[in-house]
Amino acid sequence: MKRFSMWRYPARWPLFRVDDRLLLIFTGAIVGILSGLAAVALNRSLSFMFDYLHRFRGHFLAFLLPAGGAALSSIFLNQIIREKPGHGVPEVIYSVSRYGGLLRFRSSFSRLISSCLTIGSGGSAGPEAPVVMSGSAIGSNIATLFSLNDKQRVTLVGCGAAGAISSIFNAPIAGMIFTMEIILGEWSTVNIVPIAIAAVVGTEVSHFFTGDQIAFSHRNFSIHPLDVISCVGLAVLTALASIILTRMLRRMHGVVAKVSLPFWLKAAVGGCAVGLLGLYFPDILGEGYHSITEMIGGIFEAGILAAALGAILKIVATSLTLGWGGSGGIFAPCLVIGSFVGLFFQRGLTVMFPYVDWVNEGCYALLGMAGLISGILQAPLTGIFLIVEITGSYEVMLPLIVVSAFSTTISRYFEPASFYLKDLVERGQLLRPGTDSRVLSDLSIAELLETDCICVKKDMLLRDFLNIVQKSRRNYFPVEDEKTGHFIGMVHLDDIRPYLFNRVMYDTVLIEQIMNGKMMTADISDELPAVLSTMDENGFFSMPVVSEKRFVGMISKATLLDQYRKELMVQTSDT
Amino acid sequence: MKLELKEVAKSLDLPQGTVERWIRQGRIPIQKRNDLCMFNKAVLKKWAKMHNLSCNLSETPDQTEPDDDQVPDDDNDNLLSSMKRGGLLVDVPGNDAEFVFRYVVGRIPELSTENKDALIERLLQREELVSTGIGKGVAVPHPRSPMPEAISESLVITCVLAHPIDFKSIDDQPVSVLFFLLSPSISCHLNLLSRLSFCLRDNAFVSTLKALRDKHVLFEKIELIEKQADGKG
Repeated sequence: MKRFSMWRYPARWPLFRVDDRLLLIFTGAIVGILSGLAAVALNRSLSFMFDYLHRFRGHFLAFLLPAGGAALSSIFLNQIIREKPGHGVPEVIYSVSRYGGLLRFRSSFSRLISSCLTIGSGGSAGPEAPVVMSGSAIGSNIATLFSLNDKQRVTLVGCGAAGAISSIFNAPIAGMIFTMEIILGEWSTVNIVPIAIAAVVGTEVSHFFTGDQIAFSHRNFSIHPLDVISCVGLAVLTALASIILTRMLRRMHGVVAKVSLPFWLKAAVGGCAVGLLGLYFPDILGEGYHSITEMIGGIFEAGILAAALGAILKIVATSLTLGWGGSGGIFAPCLVIGSFVGLFFQRGLTVMFPYVDWVNEGCYALLGMAGLISGILQAPLTGIFLIVEITGSYEVMLPLIVVSAFSTTISRYFEPASFYLKDLVERGQLLRPGTDSRVLSDLSIAELLETDCICVKKDMLLRDFLNIVQKSRRNYFPVEDEKTGHFIGMVHLDDIRPYLFNRVMYDTVLIEQIMNGKMMTADISDELPAVLSTMDENGFFSMPVVSEKRFVGMISKATLLDQYRKELMVQTSDT
Repeated sequence: MKLELKEVAKSLDLPQGTVERWIRQGRIPIQKRNDLCMFNKAVLKKWAKMHNLSCNLSETPDQTEPDDDQVPDDDNDNLLSSMKRGGLLVDVPGNDAEFVFRYVVGRIPELSTENKDALIERLLQREELVSTGIGKGVAVPHPRSPMPEAISESLVITCVLAHPIDFKSIDDQPVSVLFFLLSPSISCHLNLLSRLSFCLRDNAFVSTLKALRDKHVLFEKIELIEKQADGKG
């Protein structure tokens, strides 16, 4: 029996007792395999659906396909799985920072199915965020199965995300950096090794199943210094596109909120509109890897205006799909829009400066992709490494850095928070490790409680009260109701100071007459940041804490500072 | 060495809830064995040092119990035991403070000759500052700072003078009863002074003091008043 239960607790295996980092590497590899498989499964089913539905594309009613897909996907997510709509990355980030990476089991497949329905039927969205969500949920559930602690679970969530991104793009470093930059928000040596291993394993899984037919194949470009300079202009365009996409998505959410239709009908309306756009411009449908491959390969035939139109229509289609209730991410649409912008820019350059030998349009498409990712996700390193790994050449490094840096800077000027973090920032839920909000959210009021106060009754004489004052080490004395035990007020030492040397008052004044009955209280279940802001607003140094109307202790800024320092030291010096 | 959660929390000066959360979050090093969390003392110390946390593990086992007992013993020593140690001197001769001080200090067996001289000098210095005659014919001579090198345990020596002497008391009355307060620490001194002044608030008690001859009567009375004070306070 004991041997049987041993497998559930790998931390007790003799090998892992030596060092628990080995345990993380081992479980990280398992998570990498599974999230890689999830990515392969989604990719396979997307291409299967694409091939199967391709024969109907010519039909005049084909515009209804994305509508059906989006409606089914929203019904599946809302009614069957009962999960929140959206791409899921903010949920993963929030769970990592607040609940030690705890995610539900059903999250490991829910977004895969719903996004497969949306994207496979032609909706304009990306499969990356759903796969990241699945990979993360797989990591989280494996950590729970093996009864690992929060820190280890967060690492495994990161492993899942890294494995997923690596597997989709065949780009292990990009997967790793995406996880560090976006999901975890910290770089620590404890995390990096298992995440790197998961990324490599994820890539190998995708290699194993798809062979060399990877999403984007390697290319070589010869970059001219003029190209590097021109990248500043490209960065401006990509930043502009990022801002338009972000704002349009938000507007669309605002518009949709006002429409009173059932959620599935809303998704269908959005899908329908995308389908109609797709009739005239099929490149905007689906996740768009196909058109990206064409653009990188330089075989995209349409002209400069078609490229500009493509970028605009893809932005519109993505907002329609995601804004109206379709399921999927923003990563792949970013890549498509980026390629269109890059293509447009390169063609514009060739028209304006026909005698300069510009590098081919495929390279500009890739640079545009990096620009868009840096602009929307505000994750320049992810953009840079993704493109470096896709192209497999270091010559593009310099223009890549220029595009990414400028694009991030410009779009951050207009949109201070990235697309993934925007909602969290608005709700005050972005709790990056080592920040003030994170430390405060980890500390609970129960941990800060000072319980050495002596409670007094309201009909006590001042003389008896003075005897209690003699024994107490605190300046505050909570007053309780005799019958109910409820907290009714507070006596501060300052309140009795005027009567302290007047002996006549000793037997005439009752506590009830001295106490402050309008004292603001905090509940033991309150969140610390809220209590702290109440204290700041009113200039309190300490506050009584009640639980079910009974006094349980005091919370004071002195104790808070002490605990806050310890918490910060423990949280920030993790290696 | 095995450590309990309570001990770990105490040594790090943290609430138990925080240590529990740190275990859950994997911030503090533990070893799991059959659903038990074990702390390793050496590992914990190293961890605390790395995170710049104060961790007084080595002293914890020794300190836990005596910590609670020793402090009250030292500071909150009651008046009665100090009085019993000091004893009662009756019919003390002398016409001025210095003579009385020399007479009384000369009868403290624990003190060496140098310490006796030093103590008398300090007592006189204190009287020069402000008289310790607190009125109603009572004075509480004491040195300004404690003498831990000379006095290991607090002493209260009760003296009834043969003739009342002038002590420059606050009410200008001659003094006939003196309580010598000798303590090893300031907190102990304040505690004794506070308890003594509580007893001296009782006018009936003060009036009996002048005719005091039997120390057991005094101790019984003091015990009674102290009990009252403790019961109330």
